[in-house]
Formats: sequence, C-alpha cells, structure tokens
Amino acid sequence: MSGPAFRESTPRLTLDCEGLLCPLPVYKAGLALSRMSPGDLLELVSTDPGSLADVPAMARQRGDHLRSVVTEGDRHVFLLEKGPAR
Amino acid sequence: MTITPTDTRLRRYEDIRDLMAGPAEPTPLVRLRHLPDPDASLYLKLEWMSPFGSIKDRTARYLLDGLEAAGLLDGKDIVEPTSGNTGIALAALAALRGIRLIATVPSGVPDEKKVLMRMLGAEVWETPDDLCPVDSPKDGAIALARAIAASDPRFVMPNQYANGDNVRAHYETTGPEIWTQTDGEVAVFVAGLGTGGTLTGVGRYLKERNPEVRIVAVEPQPGHRLPGLKSLREAKTPEILDWSVIDEVVEVGDDDAYARTKELYRREALMVGPSTGAIVHAALQLDPAAGLVVGVSPDSGFKYTSYFADILGDEGLPTP
Repeated sequence: MSGPAFRESTPRLTLDCEGLLCPLPVYKAGLALSRMSPGDLLELVSTDPGSLADVPAMARQRGDHLRSVVTEGDRHVFLLEKGPAR
Repeated sequence: MTITPTDTRLRRYEDIRDLMAGPAEPTPLVRLRHLPDPDASLYLKLEWMSPFGSIKDRTARYLLDGLEAAGLLDGKDIVEPTSGNTGIALAALAALRGIRLIATVPSGVPDEKKVLMRMLGAEVWETPDDLCPVDSPKDGAIALARAIAASDPRFVMPNQYANGDNVRAHYETTGPEIWTQTDGEVAVFVAGLGTGGTLTGVGRYLKERNPEVRIVAVEPQPGHRLPGLKSLREAKTPEILDWSVIDEVVEVGDDDAYARTKELYRREALMVGPSTGAIVHAALQLDPAAGLVVGVSPDSGFKYTSYFADILGDEGLPTP
C-alpha cells in the first residue's frame, strides 16, 4: 500500500555562513551542492544582504532549485534542492 | 677547504631564498637567434630560472616582506587571488615561514599549478570568474579572496593587484637587472598585462634612466586561455597599473600566442609558457630597427603540459 506523495523537507546539510561576506556563502553553497545527490536539500544560513540576490541567481545558474527563503532580522535561511544530474 | 655561507660564485646556497633573483644575481637574458629578423636584436629575460619557477618569485617576496615590515603578518595566515604563479611562490615562502596560504584561483588554471600549490601545503579555492551572478565583474577569485580576508581576522590579503610592493619588486630588481644586462642599450621593453606590476615597475625604472625607452604591454583577447594575462575588456584595471609609462598596447589572440610558443620550443629550444609566446609574438611585430628589445618570459612550460597536449592533438604521435 502506497501513501501520498511525500516531499522531503529535512535538509541533508545545514551550512552556517553567518558573518561571512558575499561571495563566500554562494561559494560554499555551490561547493556543498556539487557534492550532494539530485533531490538532496541544503539549508544555507547567511547574514550578508547580498546573498538575497546572489543565492537565487546561483541556484538558477547551477540548475538547482531554491525552495524557500525565510528572513528573520538579519538572518536569511535558504532551502535549496540539488537539481538533476548534468 | 673551509665551507663558507652562501657562495654564489660556486652556486652553493645555505637557503633556497638565496637563489632568488636580484641585481646581484639577475635572471638570464638570452638572445633569440632564429625567430627574429637577422637585423633585429630581441632578448628574452628568463624569469623561470628562479627557485619557484616564475617572475612571481620577486612579487611574492616583496609582498610578504612588505606585510612583515608593516607588522601586518604577525600570527596571520595569507589569502591571495592568483592565476597560479604568485600562489606557487607565496605557498613556497609561506611554507618556509610556517604560515598557511589560501589561494583563490579562477577556473581554467592548469591542474599542474593547482597541484603544485597543494603540494606546497596551500589550500586552493577554484572559482568561476562570474561567481557573483548578480554583481559580475569578471574577477571572482579577487572577490572571493577579499571576502575571506574581510570575514576572518586570521587572514591577511597581500593583494598583488593593489599593493605597491608588487611594483617595487620590479622597480628595484627586474628594471635594474635589465638596464645593467643591456649596458643601458635597451630600447623597447615588452611584457604582459596582468597585475601591472612588471610593466609599471620596470617601465618606471627604465624611463627614469632613459625617457626614450618604449614600454609595450601585451593584452590577451576576452575569453583567452593565457594564464597570468588579463583582458581589460573583461576584467577591472588593476589599481597599481600606471598607464603613463605604457607607450603601446598590442592585443594578441590565443592562436598566435600558442603558435609562437610552439615555434619557441622548436626553433629556439626555449621551453616557455604560453604567455611568453604572446609576448614574443608582439615583439616580432616591432620594426627590426627598433633597437635592443627585451621581452619577459614569465614562466616555463612545465606547468602547462595539459594545455599543450590539447593544442598538439595527435601531433608527434606515430600513425598506424
């Protein structure tokens, strides 16, 4: 018996880039994603305001998927899904 | 026989750093006998005859000495953007000082260079030039090194693109060496456009000695595959580059640069890196009556064998 389609939402890895200036969060996220498998989730925490523009652009460029961004104060939490193998 | 400290006459050295070039021990200046017009007088300064293999040995030493003199190196590690040669020289000197180096390198730097830096104990962070997809000057390695230095107080960034000690290295060593080795007869100096350190430092020195000396900068084309050189149509102008000492800019394409590099191997037996091919290509376009021309040969070809394999294809292999 199969249940309803389940969409994984627990990140495989959390990358804490608080205090790091751009482009370090983007660089570290790209490095982590390149070592993950398609469908894996990466949570990226950044305090650099530049990452609000750079992370979505990086995800598009790499073919990964930005699932959500939550901003609390100066903390931005991105949930990224590794795209299909290229 | 009494063993004395470093004796350059006997080529016996107490420290590898004693082998680094300077006016008392210049890198060789070698005439090209076969490629140029017979009336032309074209010499190459073989900067790879230096312990860490390139013209960047001078830069790296001055950068570190400058940081140390300013008290900025105490207990610090180094982060530096580099296309490889500065990274290799900094990694070697850092290893001798027991400090750590992170080298941020643009994508496309040959594996040979990255492996040598890691052999010397450095960490190599490779990055595409368009690392910041939104704010995108084509200098991702520089942006990444700046971010590391600004985010982590354990690191200091010598910044060869903006540090006057890079210019001083060439003003105090390369320039005087060329002047002495040519007995003041140098008429034209040709070097690649990279950080601007060589062109600015040597150019300033030679023009102070003789304002008539012409300084020629060799610039690659956008999207080039000539490590160490920068196209200012796609990268920012380095802060230390002084345009006032440059008389002419010659743009050289990859095909011409690699064809000349191959010619240098086969007709002059000079095992140089591809930027030397670009510099020689530009120098060979000068009027043979221009006088004594000195071109820089920044490094040897040993770090580019993977690139050379690409351009050779099946050449030099037996056919069935």
